[in-house]
Amino acid sequence: MSRDVQKALADWLAGGGDRIGEIAIARGPAGWELRHAEDAGRADLTAHAQPEAARHLANLDPAGNFRPLKTAPTLVRGWRLLLADLAAVRRALDYFYPAMTGVWLSHTRGELVPVVLRETLGRQTGMYRVTQKLTDPQARELIDRVCAGCLKHRLWEIATANPSSPAFPAGNLPLLCHEACNLLVAQAREVVKKAERAA
Amino acid sequence: MLSKPDSALVIVGHGSTVNPDSSAPTFDHAETLLARGIFGEVHCAFWKEEPSFRQVLHMVGRDDIYVVPNFISEGYFTKTVIPRELELDGALTRRGGRVIKYCEPVGNDARMTELLLRRAAEIAPGVDPAQTSLFIVGHGTNLNDNSAAAAKREVERIAALGLYAEVRSAYMEEEPLISKWDEYSTQPNVVVVPFFISDGLHSYEDIPVLLGIASASPGAASAGGREVFQHNPYHLRGRTLFYASAIGTEPLFADVILEQVAAFDAVHAA
Repeated sequence: MSRDVQKALADWLAGGGDRIGEIAIARGPAGWELRHAEDAGRADLTAHAQPEAARHLANLDPAGNFRPLKTAPTLVRGWRLLLADLAAVRRALDYFYPAMTGVWLSHTRGELVPVVLRETLGRQTGMYRVTQKLTDPQARELIDRVCAGCLKHRLWEIATANPSSPAFPAGNLPLLCHEACNLLVAQAREVVKKAERAA
Repeated sequence: MLSKPDSALVIVGHGSTVNPDSSAPTFDHAETLLARGIFGEVHCAFWKEEPSFRQVLHMVGRDDIYVVPNFISEGYFTKTVIPRELELDGALTRRGGRVIKYCEPVGNDARMTELLLRRAAEIAPGVDPAQTSLFIVGHGTNLNDNSAAAAKREVERIAALGLYAEVRSAYMEEEPLISKWDEYSTQPNVVVVPFFISDGLHSYEDIPVLLGIASASPGAASAGGREVFQHNPYHLRGRTLFYASAIGTEPLFADVILEQVAAFDAVHAA
């Protein structure tokens, strides 16, 4: 099942792909250039030349808060990343939007299996086992609240796969969520604990 | 010299929703190893950050995959959470044409002793170990976590070398408490090394407060926290105290990760 994420990225770019999440990708002076899409046309951006710069650019939001969820729509602006080749682009994207190019490749190959929330919660142990008590209305409220702050398209629902298809504009690499993240599971624990205290 | 161009390395860590310091050493070691060109690809994955344990295998192109837990000890995460989330069958998992090789956590490596000694010597240059009490600090009390046992094991190994006048384990939340360091030591010099995988709230704030070298919260860990390591030595309670950053930030951890891979191959000969 050999997979070539970099080749998939190259094919996507060759087919007119130019946007992933909040980032615009274009041919640069000597390779590729990434910048915040809202910084299009700006000439006063701080230039970086190493893909590792992406790790640090992705760490904090404009207010200086840590971003444990990298697909939150809170990427800082004011930078451009000049990268020599596609290997470097791929590494930078893995810092900006971890796993998203690989998850998308799995999706296009039919290898991405959505996991419904009940299944994710059902296998939790330790301090998160209590999330199995989350009711459907609580789950609905939680998903609507937490996932609203994420750019990924959710492929799962509470007990079924999400029937709606990813709606990303042409040229956008789809950001896909095939399973509830630990941030949501941790929030589910808070909801259950809060309800137990109130009871 | 290890050379595995047809293999991928995945380093798995705990991570944090609060600050980037928890995952930083894991990313650093991954970048170091990627630059050495030993593996065809190198990735990280985290319980509390992205890429998650559930996402990371989608990033991997190679079919031969080594997974090394960047954890200080065997316990709940290495025995339960990581195997469950990566859907591992044991040390060796064959699935969909892939082979996933689950290695021992870095903290199990015999070189931990050497790295702790190195860090202790670096933080207190020119200080005579024969007049020094060395503390290896663990978390303690964690459910199903063997970090306290791992700290004790290292203390026994270092003590057996007879270099330091005294070598002790101490914990944040269980006896012997690190807050009582002056009661548990007799030497004029005291060196404290956190046996943690990363710096963060524990090493920036909690332990310094317990040691008495910091008061209240200095704020965001990644902002001013590192300063606590820049004011050595501290003179208090009639002693000279040297405080080191977490052992997992030691760059040689990258080599320890490689050794977990080599150790896997030695046990599970291809």
